[in-house]
Amino acid sequence: MHWVNAVVMLIMITSGWGIYDDDVIIRGFHFSSFWRLGDWAAWSLNWHFAGMWFLAINGLMYLLYGFASGRFREKLLPIRPTEVVQTVIDTLHFKIAHEDITVYNAVQKLLYIIVILAGISQVITGIAIWKPVQFSGLVSLLGGFQSARLLHFAGMAVIVGFLIVHVALALLVPKTLWAIIAGGPHLRPRSGAKEGHAA
Amino acid sequence: MAPLHLLVVCGMLAVAGAAHAQSATPGGMPPPPGMSLAESAAMRFPQPVRVGDLLGREVLRPVESQDVLGRVRLVVRDKNGQIMVVIDFSGFLGFGTRPIAVPVDATVLLGQDMEIVAFTPKQLQQFPTFSSSGTTDVPDDTIIKVGLAKPSH
Amino acid sequence: MKSPFRPDLAPGATVLDDHKPLIRSLERRGLIRGGLSLGALVMLTGCDITRPEAVESALLAISRFNDRVQALLFDPNKLAPTYPASMILRPPKFNAYYEVVDVKPVNGATWRLEVSGLVADKRAWTLPDLQALPQTSMVIKHICVEGWSYIGGWTGVPLRLFLERVGADLRAKYVAFKTADNYPSSIDMASALHPQTLLALQYGGEPLANPFGYPMRLRTAVKLGYKNPKWVTAIEVTNKYPGGYWESLGFPWFAGI
Repeated sequence: MHWVNAVVMLIMITSGWGIYDDDVIIRGFHFSSFWRLGDWAAWSLNWHFAGMWFLAINGLMYLLYGFASGRFREKLLPIRPTEVVQTVIDTLHFKIAHEDITVYNAVQKLLYIIVILAGISQVITGIAIWKPVQFSGLVSLLGGFQSARLLHFAGMAVIVGFLIVHVALALLVPKTLWAIIAGGPHLRPRSGAKEGHAA
Repeated sequence: MAPLHLLVVCGMLAVAGAAHAQSATPGGMPPPPGMSLAESAAMRFPQPVRVGDLLGREVLRPVESQDVLGRVRLVVRDKNGQIMVVIDFSGFLGFGTRPIAVPVDATVLLGQDMEIVAFTPKQLQQFPTFSSSGTTDVPDDTIIKVGLAKPSH
Repeated sequence: MKSPFRPDLAPGATVLDDHKPLIRSLERRGLIRGGLSLGALVMLTGCDITRPEAVESALLAISRFNDRVQALLFDPNKLAPTYPASMILRPPKFNAYYEVVDVKPVNGATWRLEVSGLVADKRAWTLPDLQALPQTSMVIKHICVEGWSYIGGWTGVPLRLFLERVGADLRAKYVAFKTADNYPSSIDMASALHPQTLLALQYGGEPLANPFGYPMRLRTAVKLGYKNPKWVTAIEVTNKYPGGYWESLGFPWFAGI
């Protein structure tokens, strides 16, 4: 499930970059052809409108599973501000190795919550851009069509930022790489939790 | 650990660098060699536009990345009666600009913006700084004609 | 579409039209190669990159599925937001599949609107004929597939009224358009009957200017810009899928907003 998600997210991001280039939002900034999926607008759109189904289905399954199994509550909460500060300091000193990689530190919890919210935001702003007349109420809430576009771009930036940190940290703690591929260590049952996953 | 760290940083810089590089092919339709600015402007189906509606418009380079060259400050007639668009040119985020006067026939309307199609940014940098002596401001309610272009890709 | 070759005088639209099938087949090959330039991604998905046609077909099949989903999402009673006339952009933004210098103005006096297909009255219409029909005005947002938008004001004959006048079969699937600039286009009947779909004769209270489709263009508030052909010369009501210029190059057909 993690890898399907990764591939679909990359498809959405890189095809989105292709669509962006058709009318740039930040003037003077565009993505060169190496980074775009789809040589020009028509195919970037087709990739984007194909990938969106897989993202939505996969994302929905991930959310339903996470809530229903209690996995989110257990792994992502609570977050204490002092913990976050301490973890950031540790990370900057490269003290990031985990004894038990199935337990998330405070920064990890925060980042995962942020990326999940960003993903949901992308679906909402994406729908607004896709159907600005059929969902004109939603577009108004978002501040208008161009505002919805900007929010969609901002959500992408948050997700790409997360991905860079996520991949960098995974590379720096090689234990996690094996867990992502093989499924992670199996936990002894812990108040309703099922097998552990690293990510 | 360090080499991996370096790899990630390099990767990030590469993305930033590649993403910021300007479009390879400038778009727009510069006047064919030998044709005057006025003739080339006439080929672009000039449309009436209110001078007041031009003030403050962003002036773009006709390329995919839509680089901002400046903003329209005012519209004047020079001592020969030719209409010039005075642009707060260059600078960064609005700082350090200087005004230059560009003949209106070198520009086009592009939706809510304008584009300069007849001069490259390098050529524009050679333009003298605008001085208002000898010019008259064109009143806001005057209707002038400016040519069109399609968006650049 | 980027091209390093920029002739001083762009080829006329008719020249391009003659070579369109060849150009399209060349574009398709280039597009497919280009579309898979993110090699690592392709390897991850396990796609067979020696058969890129399969990828393209899959994407187009999903695009056609999306057309059906969009048709279901389309609410024929939902009106697009309207705006005060003071917000109309004058002049509007120009776009076409060629540069503005290649616009070929149409002679309004000799212009005729041909009508064909599943209709009772196949007589051609003159401009005064159309102008005599009831007109309606709307100030709506034009949204281009590229991403830009602007507020514009159009006046014209509701397409529904026109179709009723010519005795069209309103249960037919498509309304197809031909234009003076070889830009075929078509929309679904539900969108054609929407109250904010007009055969537009005016922009901002004045007759359409030459670059903006004089004497008549389609203007519908419920579709992306490329579904609004300019310089319309013929309307056909049909059950056979008519396609369109950009659709032949891979763009989605329904393109509803």
